[in-house]
Amino acid sequence: MDVVELRIRPPRHRVDRRFILWRTVQTLFWGIGVLGVLGAVYGFVEVTRPWLGPVLVVAGVLYAVNLAVMPTWRYLVHRWEATDDAVYSLEGWLTRKWQIVPISRIQSIDTERGLLQQALGLATITVTTASSEGKITIEGLDARVAADTVDRLRQVTAADPGDAT
Amino acid sequence: MTSAEVPWRRLSVRTFYLALLRALVAMVPGYLGLVVLNDGSPVWVLVAGSFFGLLGSLGDLVRWQTTRYRVTPDRVEMRTGWLARKHRTVGRDRIRSVDSTARGLSRLLGLRTVHIGSGEAQSSFQLNALDTGHAERLQQELMHGTTRTAGETGTEADSEHAEPETVIARLRRDWIPLNVITVWAPLVVAGPVVGAYWFLRPFGVDLLDYGRGLVDWSPLIVVVAVLVAYPIGIALKAGTFLLEWWNFQLVRVGTPPATALVTRRGLINTQTVSRDDERMRGIAFAEPLWWRWLHLTETKVITTGLGTSGQSPTSTVLPRIRMAEARDLAARILPDGHRPLEAPLRSHPRGALVRRLGWALWWPALLAGALLLFAVSGALPYWAVPLPFALLPLGLPLAVAAYRALGHASTGPYLVVRRGPLTRTTVALQDRAVIGWTFQQSLFQRRGNRIDVGIATAAGERAYHAYDMGVDQALTFALSATPDLAAQFLEPAETR
Repeated sequence: MDVVELRIRPPRHRVDRRFILWRTVQTLFWGIGVLGVLGAVYGFVEVTRPWLGPVLVVAGVLYAVNLAVMPTWRYLVHRWEATDDAVYSLEGWLTRKWQIVPISRIQSIDTERGLLQQALGLATITVTTASSEGKITIEGLDARVAADTVDRLRQVTAADPGDAT
Repeated sequence: MTSAEVPWRRLSVRTFYLALLRALVAMVPGYLGLVVLNDGSPVWVLVAGSFFGLLGSLGDLVRWQTTRYRVTPDRVEMRTGWLARKHRTVGRDRIRSVDSTARGLSRLLGLRTVHIGSGEAQSSFQLNALDTGHAERLQQELMHGTTRTAGETGTEADSEHAEPETVIARLRRDWIPLNVITVWAPLVVAGPVVGAYWFLRPFGVDLLDYGRGLVDWSPLIVVVAVLVAYPIGIALKAGTFLLEWWNFQLVRVGTPPATALVTRRGLINTQTVSRDDERMRGIAFAEPLWWRWLHLTETKVITTGLGTSGQSPTSTVLPRIRMAEARDLAARILPDGHRPLEAPLRSHPRGALVRRLGWALWWPALLAGALLLFAVSGALPYWAVPLPFALLPLGLPLAVAAYRALGHASTGPYLVVRRGPLTRTTVALQDRAVIGWTFQQSLFQRRGNRIDVGIATAAGERAYHAYDMGVDQALTFALSATPDLAAQFLEPAETR
């Protein structure tokens, strides 16, 4: 077994290109929200300034880097595939995460579409198993691709008898 | 698929009325605060209460308006959500339990909240709420033909009186001191005293003041208090231990193949837990740091169908006992007679040690950096900046302990992982219990060719982890446990 060197194969499909826009807008909103609240407190309540000043600087830098780099980097990393045997995904940017779950263990299939995702025509698929670790979320798929995938997964899981765990 | 014609159903219209009623009730404290009590006293608690109450009932209204569900011959579906929409599908053969609850107002209105469980909270439905008729219909519809439900453990023992029994272990007198003596014994006494202090304070009784008045608090008194607290604490612990573990028996009941592992214990309330051997997926040792030098361990079984929490009393099958004894018992607890917990473990790469030592160094450094920023901004004095480095003498030994605890093995039908600096847990899990893999790799781990492995399972704590394995080790590990699944994501490195 040790004779052949093995490596992890990346999943087949990339997520939709609009993923970049979606994550950018999302990060922007969060940044504006969090920094706005902190900034308002900094501006109006003078006592907190020595404490909030450093927090604001550090958080501001982190958000800026996040906004500039994270969405594109994530888009380049994120990959997924759903075959008749397993659902397999790769996500992350600084830290990468591969997850695989066999079809026979899937317990529920969710599609979720937030406001922003609806506007961009994107959807998120979540596949859960009986384990907290065996939950795969594939974000930012084209809504039609997501619907087709979920339909197919539903048929495959219904055909698979599963086991009693 | 004929499921397309099955109509969608809605929640009971009474949920709508209930939400309106709740909104009215929620407005009462706010009204009281703003109009009746309008005399400048702090009323924001009341107003906030009303606000959140209103928000809650608004959520109820939206939920009633947007939720649709349906039961087709092979699955249950639910759509819900207004701004963020959600569509959930669960196959009917995955459904383990259907139960309904009714509380307070909902009961008066004839409403029931129906939970459709598939063994895990994340993949369960909650229909809040249906009227009683529909709830019962749904329950019958879904549970019809289902023979097994999770949670049947614990009730079987009564019907198994006639079955043959093999006793594996009984409570032994020399186990008692091992479980009773602890460094933390004074805390057993201190806990209730502190609790009483906080409980009595709102009523104007200040125990601290009272105590100060009673005696002069010199260091000597404190030492005496601790010395007195020790025997009391140990006696209390002994009392609770005996209450819980009196008449403890661990037996295997039944004739093969229908056998079960049964624990019986307790002085006043006898707790009997029966675990079907069919559902057993492994076994685990937990060795707390303070007892490592005495080689003491707790023993837990890993089964499917029990609660999630690793601390739940149903998973603990033995009190804290000596390792050698526990190993012999573990071999008899496992129905297949394997001894996976004694398998020699492979240690993880040196880089894992460097990483842990790095954490022990970097975290205080990072903390000191943050303090330096605050010192520059004038919030803190400069002498506070190097204080986090006081954590080093604690962090460095812990890092070494954490590294030495890491280990894994693949032996027979089991995979074994060990980790944890404070409580070192060794988990042996059957290969067939693995229902998925998670591999995680940070930038630094990538450079060191190491990877974190998460083993997804439906049993025990639902997920077990092996941190900082070498990548080769991790892939071999996954391949030996689940060859079919591993073939899905592994490929020979030459085809690059």
